[in-house]
Amino acid sequence: MSLLKSEWRKLIYVRAHWGLLIAAVLLSALGTGVTPLILENSRETFGFGLDQQQAVDSVYANAISGYIFAIIIGIMLMAGEFRHGTAVATFLTAPKRGTVLANKLGMAAIAGILVMVISTGAGIIAGLVGMSFYPDAAEPSSEIFLNTMVAAVVSGAVLGIIGVALGTLIRNQMLAIVGALIYLFVIDPILLLLWPDAGKFLPSGLITGMMALDINSPELGFDTSNYLPALSATLVLLGYGVVFAATAIATSLRRDVE
Amino acid sequence: MTIAIAFGDLVKSYGKFNAVDHLSAEVQQGRITGFLGPNGAGKSTTLRCLVGLADPSSGSAEIFGKKYRDLDNPLSRVGTVLDSRGFHGALSGKANLKVVAAAAGIPDARVDEVLQMVELTEAADRKMKKYSLGMKQRLALAGAILGDPEVLILDEPANGLDPAGIAWLRKFLRSLASGGRTILVSSHQLAEMQNTVDDVLIINKGRLIAEGPKEQVMGGDTLEEAFLKLTGGALS
Repeated sequence: MSLLKSEWRKLIYVRAHWGLLIAAVLLSALGTGVTPLILENSRETFGFGLDQQQAVDSVYANAISGYIFAIIIGIMLMAGEFRHGTAVATFLTAPKRGTVLANKLGMAAIAGILVMVISTGAGIIAGLVGMSFYPDAAEPSSEIFLNTMVAAVVSGAVLGIIGVALGTLIRNQMLAIVGALIYLFVIDPILLLLWPDAGKFLPSGLITGMMALDINSPELGFDTSNYLPALSATLVLLGYGVVFAATAIATSLRRDVE
Repeated sequence: MTIAIAFGDLVKSYGKFNAVDHLSAEVQQGRITGFLGPNGAGKSTTLRCLVGLADPSSGSAEIFGKKYRDLDNPLSRVGTVLDSRGFHGALSGKANLKVVAAAAGIPDARVDEVLQMVELTEAADRKMKKYSLGMKQRLALAGAILGDPEVLILDEPANGLDPAGIAWLRKFLRSLASGGRTILVSSHQLAEMQNTVDDVLIINKGRLIAEGPKEQVMGGDTLEEAFLKLTGGALS
């Protein structure tokens, strides 16, 4: 418990972590707040409008878009130790590295969940406000809010863990963050678009699958029926977490601390 | 005399280069031992192997007969200052120590005590990045004594200190040693070390070249003269 308490203090004492939480809230709120306007004014582009349930569901699904910040916090919790030189104090206080990493992974999962629950909650509220300007819009599906929150919790935990693993492997904080951003914003969407059969097993595809959306937009080449069912997507994403956690622990045990 | 720290045929290699080359030496309990050597002699690498931050390629480095990693609650047995980094610049000195204290299960009240001991109470809530180098060294010392350890391992604690800071450090180390602590301290400040240490341990190119009581190693010379003779004039 003492190591977890120490990791909690690292999390809440560093202002940059609060900045990331605020950024996640703003991104999610902005995403859901303005999506109704975009959808209603670009009906031909998307192939559907707010009079259809799939459009309204996609508005609320946008609430999960802050997940990038969960991975960044995970990276900062680990790579930040090497950037600021605090890894020395950390591993002198608790020289059993596997134990330190296990606690850090646990705290990154908690941090990721907190970021995702708060930002997704804010996004859903902003979506409700945005949708209130369209009284004739369709009703959202009954399970969209629950599915989105479950996806937020699982993706927050797993991405936090992946972040710590990346920070352990790469150690250079800026390089790890830029790499994660390029992967999640460029490589992952391209793979998802070009090879949906393989892309559905990648993080973005799995998170989308977890929300069990029913959206088909031939205009955008987007059909959620190609994605894994919610439970399968959840299990595969958790599998990513296990693999990355094991990699982080194995790596930390072997390398010298500078 | 009880042996507090023992190096047994310690080797640390980076590729074909032996930074520490078959080093065997002992540090006696309750004494201040100066760990001397030119730049690149392998002092810091040796100390990093001792506290488990670097894995020895072969041989051993033990404290009270155990690897650092195998000590129960190591912070209560060994305090370490390896450099003035090690603390987060965006956090206050006090917050940095509270993070370490929490990890070691040390009450927060002890943080205030050690800050007072190193005379940093007034700067406790200031961000660490605004500290002078001397203040950073004092904060590092505060971190080292947080667990009230029996052994202190200090790598160049006088680096960057002005004369007043060095005088303060000498007094501080003497006060810690008078309580029966074992102190292993590396430094380039040979005149200062002559005033501070009981024993010396000198290495060059990763190898032990002299060890024993200070007077015995000096052999009538000053510590600096003896050091220059032993290392072939390699001060830098």
